Amino acid sequence: MGKMYEVSNRYNNYRDYTKEFTEVGRSIRRPDGPAKVKGAVQYTDDLTLPRMVYGKLLRTKHAHANIIKIDYSKALELDGVLAVITGEDCPIPYGIVPHNANEHALAVGKVRNWGEPVAAVAAITEEIAEKALELIEVEYEVLEALVDPREAVKRDDVRIHEDAPNNICYEGVQVYGDPDGAFEKSDYILEQDYYSSYVNHGFIEPQSALADFDVATGKLHLYATCQVPHYTHQQLAKVLEMPLSKIRITVPLIGGGFGGKGVASQADFCASLLSRKIGRPVKITYERSEVFAANNGRHPCYMKMKLGFDKTGKITACDFTNLMDGGAYAGWGIVVLFYTASMIHIPYMVPNVRFDGKRIYTNKPTCGAFRGLGGVQPRFAMEQMLDQAAAHFGMDPYEIRMLNAAESGYTAMSKMYIPHTEYKKCLTECVEKSGYKEKHGKMPFGKGIGLSGGYYISGTSYTLYLSYKPHTVATIKVDEENDVTVYCGATDIGQGVDMVMAQMAAETLGVKTEDVTVIPRDTKISTFDLGTFASRLTFATGWAIRQAAEKINAELKPVAAGMLGIRGEEVEVQGGEFYNIYKPHKRVPWREVVSAYIQTNGPLSMTGQFTPPRRKGIQQGGNIGHSPTFGFSAQIAEVDVDLETGKINVVKITEAGDCGVAINPQSVEGQVHGSIQMGMGQALYEEMKIAPDGTFLNPSFHDYKLPTALDMPEIDANIVEAYDPSAPYGAKESGEGPIQPTIPAIFNAVYDAIGVRFTEMPLTPEKVLNAIKEQKAKGVF
Amino acid sequence: MNILSNFQYHAPKTKKEVLELLADIGDKSKMLAGGTDLIIMLKEKMITTENLINIGDVEELAGIKFVDGGVEIGACTKIADIEDSKELVKDYNALVFAAGQLGSYQVRTMATLGGNISHSSPAAETPTPLAAMNAMVVIEGKNGERTVKAEEFILGNRKNVLESDEMVTKFFIPAPAPHSASVYGHIGLRNAMEIDAVNMAVNVELEDDKKTIKTVKLVMGSVSPKPIVSEAVPALINGKVLDEALIEAVGEAAMSEAKPISDVRASAEYRKDVVGALARRLTKEAYELAMEA
Amino acid sequence: MKQLITLNINNEDYDVIVTPMDLLVDVVRKTIGLTGTKKGCGQGDCGACTMLIDGKPELSCLKLAITAVGKKITTIEGIANEDGTLHPIQEAFLDHGAVQCGFCTPGMILSSKALVDRNPNPTMKEIKTALAGNTCRCTGYINILAAVESYAKAVAEKEAK
Repeated sequence: MGKMYEVSNRYNNYRDYTKEFTEVGRSIRRPDGPAKVKGAVQYTDDLTLPRMVYGKLLRTKHAHANIIKIDYSKALELDGVLAVITGEDCPIPYGIVPHNANEHALAVGKVRNWGEPVAAVAAITEEIAEKALELIEVEYEVLEALVDPREAVKRDDVRIHEDAPNNICYEGVQVYGDPDGAFEKSDYILEQDYYSSYVNHGFIEPQSALADFDVATGKLHLYATCQVPHYTHQQLAKVLEMPLSKIRITVPLIGGGFGGKGVASQADFCASLLSRKIGRPVKITYERSEVFAANNGRHPCYMKMKLGFDKTGKITACDFTNLMDGGAYAGWGIVVLFYTASMIHIPYMVPNVRFDGKRIYTNKPTCGAFRGLGGVQPRFAMEQMLDQAAAHFGMDPYEIRMLNAAESGYTAMSKMYIPHTEYKKCLTECVEKSGYKEKHGKMPFGKGIGLSGGYYISGTSYTLYLSYKPHTVATIKVDEENDVTVYCGATDIGQGVDMVMAQMAAETLGVKTEDVTVIPRDTKISTFDLGTFASRLTFATGWAIRQAAEKINAELKPVAAGMLGIRGEEVEVQGGEFYNIYKPHKRVPWREVVSAYIQTNGPLSMTGQFTPPRRKGIQQGGNIGHSPTFGFSAQIAEVDVDLETGKINVVKITEAGDCGVAINPQSVEGQVHGSIQMGMGQALYEEMKIAPDGTFLNPSFHDYKLPTALDMPEIDANIVEAYDPSAPYGAKESGEGPIQPTIPAIFNAVYDAIGVRFTEMPLTPEKVLNAIKEQKAKGVF
Repeated sequence: MNILSNFQYHAPKTKKEVLELLADIGDKSKMLAGGTDLIIMLKEKMITTENLINIGDVEELAGIKFVDGGVEIGACTKIADIEDSKELVKDYNALVFAAGQLGSYQVRTMATLGGNISHSSPAAETPTPLAAMNAMVVIEGKNGERTVKAEEFILGNRKNVLESDEMVTKFFIPAPAPHSASVYGHIGLRNAMEIDAVNMAVNVELEDDKKTIKTVKLVMGSVSPKPIVSEAVPALINGKVLDEALIEAVGEAAMSEAKPISDVRASAEYRKDVVGALARRLTKEAYELAMEA
Repeated sequence: MKQLITLNINNEDYDVIVTPMDLLVDVVRKTIGLTGTKKGCGQGDCGACTMLIDGKPELSCLKLAITAVGKKITTIEGIANEDGTLHPIQEAFLDHGAVQCGFCTPGMILSSKALVDRNPNPTMKEIKTALAGNTCRCTGYINILAAVESYAKAVAEKEAK
């Protein structure tokens, strides 16, 4: 067997693969569903181990302060307290991007955001642990807090990190083509400032970690709410100064991640350190306020975008300046910075591009990875500007998008290559289904309709540290006892990847999905995988599984052929039977073939792998944003604005998405619905509020407002007919593309309703009402 | 914070036992009814208490009873029982609607009418309709029973007229006058689970001509530490037939009386604007309903 | 301070030692070991800890365990049929793709069942109102609402027969 996926744009090679699927494309019930509806599933906080004790973190109320002294002697004296640790116990910094790892399990010398932990306690009950926290005395020297990146970048006198002059975490410039020349020749130029807001994932399951260090063997077993067990594995090894082989991470089912669990949590480290110190299992589960303190949510961006157009409405150039509020630590920051750079190259053809970005440290909980990272912010700007340009040219917003949309085979200036897209089909389908053309610009004052498009990566091209190893590995074992067992390290965070992997394996092996068992989420017993981020799993693990399954078939088919009395290439497998392709009634059960194989050849297992094509970027940070392929989505929002209170009611969202072949259409629909809910929340009211002194004002679901069932619009989600020949089973991402258009679609609809362009999220009733009052004063209505 | 500080727990079974406990340890106690506010405050260490008196199981304190001239609602009546009451909805629509807007259904099955007013939050949902409908709050203590108007019960943010040995035992709401109607409205960011930026209840009573306003009572919540009963609106429209110009003036009048603050939920300016909008809408709505009543 | 109480959970009596300060959610999850009930926010905002108390949905993170004595407590573990087969509301959730990460699911199912028990013919607005206190961040609620609607229809049809 050759390499399944070559570094190549010659995707026509893959045309041989069948598009007729039996297991793929089925909305089967989730295998984990029955246990979930019965409350029988165990998430991390549901686990207990013999002799287990509880850990709690002491968190600071200061946003920026030097730690002068920590005295925990009184806490240690409290009956039932087993250990207290501080920053002295964890001096080695960690970070998901090793390049600028600057986080600590517990603050070392200084706290940089509200809620940063400074000490951790282990005690025999949660009650005692909490009481012990009250007995720890911390002396601080309070420093000036910087909460606005526009100020922080000017304040070299207040350095949040000593090694970051002007509080610049990272900066980068990319220039493709000749943007200045192109602007000079442009017939129309638009320039506008935008602000995208500070939001949190709002997953319902708080982070939890249960560490079990066995002093006798020196081995650590950590159970944790972690989307990226591999990267956490590496960081634990670093901070605890232990070999990787002595650390095992098991990820129980996760109650939502959305990127928020895409970093190691301080609970992971503190539970492990405490467990090693006392030789007993330690569990730490966050309260909701701690989830907000840990954050890792979306980067607020102060953006300036300039777009040039020729006289036909074609984009000639884009100049994008982005000042990103990174919060206190580096986290995913560099990656997100350059994602915002890459996201302006697609889904429209932009022949000349300049990006100038800085990520700035501020005294706020750190920003990081959040569904659709780096895309949501520039999309917010660009999709509104396209509507403005359309108005200038007297075009329909749909027409200007169709005119500029990239097609399959397009290579952007950044060398990002789109092997396949049905973006135009997405635009057309949602325009037709919603009646956009009949409604846009034609509804009474206060009612509006808005269109937007978007896309997202379907994987990455590089690991976060220098390595040439495969990004994912899948091993398939077939035997008489268990039918099919798939070992794969991909992490199901609720989206259903365990099921999708089973469906893909069943498809190629020719068995039923129900006959496949997936062994995932364990660094010791499942195979290697980088983790759940960048919407990489369906594509990456899909290829690895397909490769492993085809190797299995290559072994089984000759045996089946022998049993059928025909040649090997005359055999196919489907529905649990091998059959003669010329005489399909001649069949032999799959299980009998497996038995025959094992009796003559011994056990059968095969491994597949996937390494993405390396399409190297040519400029600083230019590797980021490259992806084997991309998913696309277009959405139309319809809104009803209350002209007396400014409250926006999103009435309906019509969506059309290109995820290639939907492995499980019901799950794709679920991803779209969830994306729209999140996008709408950010558009209208979700926002973390930080006081000028850095105090977090709303770290609760009381005041950080997630959309409720009563707030949801009607949603018409459509999967457009698509097949990506470069993708396994023709399938691409569907989890992050659909959040890209939601916010600008709502903003464009509000413009259609009241004739006012808003450039800052969220669109609170207060802002809207003030704008309506101005419109009224102008006599618009 | 998850852990409640130590307290002594008391679970009296009768009103008499509750009153005896209050007389004895009322100054060192908190009353637990539904707990949806109290337990959060205890968890967050905003308050501590030596004693907790659970009145949630005192049956005689709960229930909806129609009496001569009106209805009596026990202090421990669950908000959900008011929301779901088919008898109340006919004549006491503003209260029933307000009950249905309080928190989530789970909160409403736990929270009580007495608890909602006794907690005395400026953003509470039920004190405004109670005041608009001229409800009386019945208070009992060791010195016997006294009655105060709903609008006089709350004195400020989490302050009310209760002495440490007293409790709210029930509410009396008079039957609506002929040709009258009461309505409730509120504005928050979402359509549910909101702490209102503004809420308001309006009660309009018409003359026998079913056109001329005999009297209007407009009560605003969340725009001052305690509910505000408008004086300007009755002065403006009592004795008049409502028209578009008057409706506009009602909005202005209500806005002139509101004293909102800016906080994490909304600015004072916006709250004033919404007071105007709600006053216009609700007055019109109550007027139209009263014409049909 | 500590006392022995009896909690009736899913028709079984559990004798447990509690302090008056202990919250029902912690006693059920930690002391009794029924971990199907979830804790998402600890402040009554997310509804993951919903239990039925005498058939009505309440927030077990805001309820002292001691105040549940003498009442019938139903947790998610008490919804499926005794033989382990699923209750129709649970089937409806699976059929409609109403379950993703599953963390809100126990509370969501209990709120839904309580709604249809008290109102077998709910309108969509009534379904949304009944579930507004149960936060879901995965599904956008759409498929959950469809599941509850179909379950309610099935119940109403059955009652009509």
